[in-house]
Amino acid sequence: MKDSLRRTLWISRVTFLEAVRQRFFAFLLVLSAAMVLSSVSFRVFDFGHGELKFIADFGFGGMFFFGSVLAVVMTAQLFFSEIDNKTALTLLAKPLSRAEFLLGKFFGAWAVLGVFVLVLAGLQGVVLWAREQELIAAAEQAGKIPATFSIVGLCELVLLQWLRLGVVISIVLAISALARTFLFAVVVGSLAVVAGQLQWIAQDALLRPTDSPVYAFFLWVSTRLIPNLQQFNLADALVLGSSAVEEGALIAVGVSGVAYLAAYLTLGSLIFRRREI
Amino acid sequence: MSSAISVRHLTKDFRIGIRGLKLRAVDDLSLEIPRGQVYGLLGPNGCGKSTTLKIVLGLVSATAGEISILGEPSATSAARRRTGFLPEAPYFHKFLTGRELVRYCAQLSGVASADLDAAVEDALGLAAMNEAAGRPIGTYSKGMLQRIGFAQAVVHDPELVILDEPTAGVDPVGSASIGRMIHAMRDKGKTIVLCSHLLGQVEQVCDRVAIMDRGKLVLEGAVEDVLSRRDRHVMTIEAMTPAARAAAEAALEAHGAKVTSITHPRRSLEDLFRELVTGSRDA
Ligand SMILES: Nc1ncnc2c1ncn2[C@@H]1O[C@H](COP(=O)(O)OP(=O)(O)OP(=O)(O)O)[C@@H](O)[C@H]1O
Ligand SMILES: [Mg+2]
Repeated sequence: MKDSLRRTLWISRVTFLEAVRQRFFAFLLVLSAAMVLSSVSFRVFDFGHGELKFIADFGFGGMFFFGSVLAVVMTAQLFFSEIDNKTALTLLAKPLSRAEFLLGKFFGAWAVLGVFVLVLAGLQGVVLWAREQELIAAAEQAGKIPATFSIVGLCELVLLQWLRLGVVISIVLAISALARTFLFAVVVGSLAVVAGQLQWIAQDALLRPTDSPVYAFFLWVSTRLIPNLQQFNLADALVLGSSAVEEGALIAVGVSGVAYLAAYLTLGSLIFRRREI
Repeated sequence: MSSAISVRHLTKDFRIGIRGLKLRAVDDLSLEIPRGQVYGLLGPNGCGKSTTLKIVLGLVSATAGEISILGEPSATSAARRRTGFLPEAPYFHKFLTGRELVRYCAQLSGVASADLDAAVEDALGLAAMNEAAGRPIGTYSKGMLQRIGFAQAVVHDPELVILDEPTAGVDPVGSASIGRMIHAMRDKGKTIVLCSHLLGQVEQVCDRVAIMDRGKLVLEGAVEDVLSRRDRHVMTIEAMTPAARAAAEAALEAHGAKVTSITHPRRSLEDLFRELVTGSRDA
């Protein structure tokens, strides 16, 4: 058990190294950071939530979009670089199980996205804070109530976004374990992310009464198979306090995320075990 | 003691394309590879050598047949801990340095952290890669890749080493030194299984050979037995004159022996090359 953990850790360490030594990661990180920082130039001066919300939407939107791209493309790339370069052949001839290999890939990619989310959220926090100070000063002069944002909420959001990206990585790994080519994994992985983003529509439809049991069954299966990725996007509620988020709701989102993640990793390991290298 | 590798009635079909056409890569192959010897697996391109080795290591599943390595049925993780493998045309994580790669492989193979540094340096030394070990693998020449691959295969001091074309792309001096490494390991009691198309080298390095063709075994045996023609003899003679030759032929004929050919001995191109060239720049 301990050996198994250590092997997983070594695989993830090298996976992490590979990812950060690639230009793709640096490129997306810089692009997203530029996006967050450019929101400094938006000045509306309505002293209200409007401006902070605009900054937050813009920054978190970038984090969300580029994070998703990174989670899909980079994960598939990290997996297929081992298969296509036949380095997996060397590694899997060692006393290393397929599940350990896949888990190592998962944790390596997840760590990279952890760095990504943390850096961007840090920048976002600084930008929001600086603007908040200006707005507070301006509001005092004008005798109005200033807009604020919540640091605790920002931290909770970082965790949620990271978990969401973890779910995406586990889905992409399960698809990659089955896929023959990198392109297939990226395309199907992207479709899965879009489906996850829209999953709540199916969930809504399921609540409405329907005559067709086949349709209901289809909806039921798809809502179970595809995680609701939209539920992690609580930026407005958490950071700007636009609406109250119950503690219980946060925990439920967290638990469901971890459950999907574990299920997809298990599925991926089972598929990968049968794959010929 | 059990064989190092025992393969019984192994068959492998690959499915090709969506119509599921079958390609038989290995056809009812049975092999017993004894311990403590250098064993050569020979055969033309596509005859199923690499596939056999991959099945032995559990990287590809067999369609039918049984395999045991080092007494363990199939490639369990315990058996793989005692086995080292160099795949054909090896390619490694190019963003790592040679030393980092060998270290990584040692860790995955279960080398204790206290012995790690010594094991890595030993393996690099054995493969003559100490000097280049600090460079990223992306900058290595083909022969260096082959040698770093050799180092990662033996870093955990395995009992069984499986080398798929260890000398492909390596210059004669380098491959002679790989030959010496192989003999040194055999002298320590290890079993080495290798594939190669360089028959001259196989002849020098291997104790036993098996020859495959179209997935089937066509010949197996000790190199000595397979190659020597016990009904013929060769003499090497210096300062021979025509008179001496006639006298020798007459003397042999008197005993019922017949001289069928007299030629000049040739040295091999490999021997000549090794006499003239002392070392490669990579070494
Ligand atoms: N993954 C695969 N899918 C389909 N066919 C394969 C696969 N791997 C190998 N083959 C086929 O199996 C046969 C045996 O291949 P293998 O690589 O074992 O040959 P080999 O003896 O190692 O040849 P070489 O000397 O060229 O290395 C070949 O006809 C090859 O095309
Ligand atoms: Mg081969």
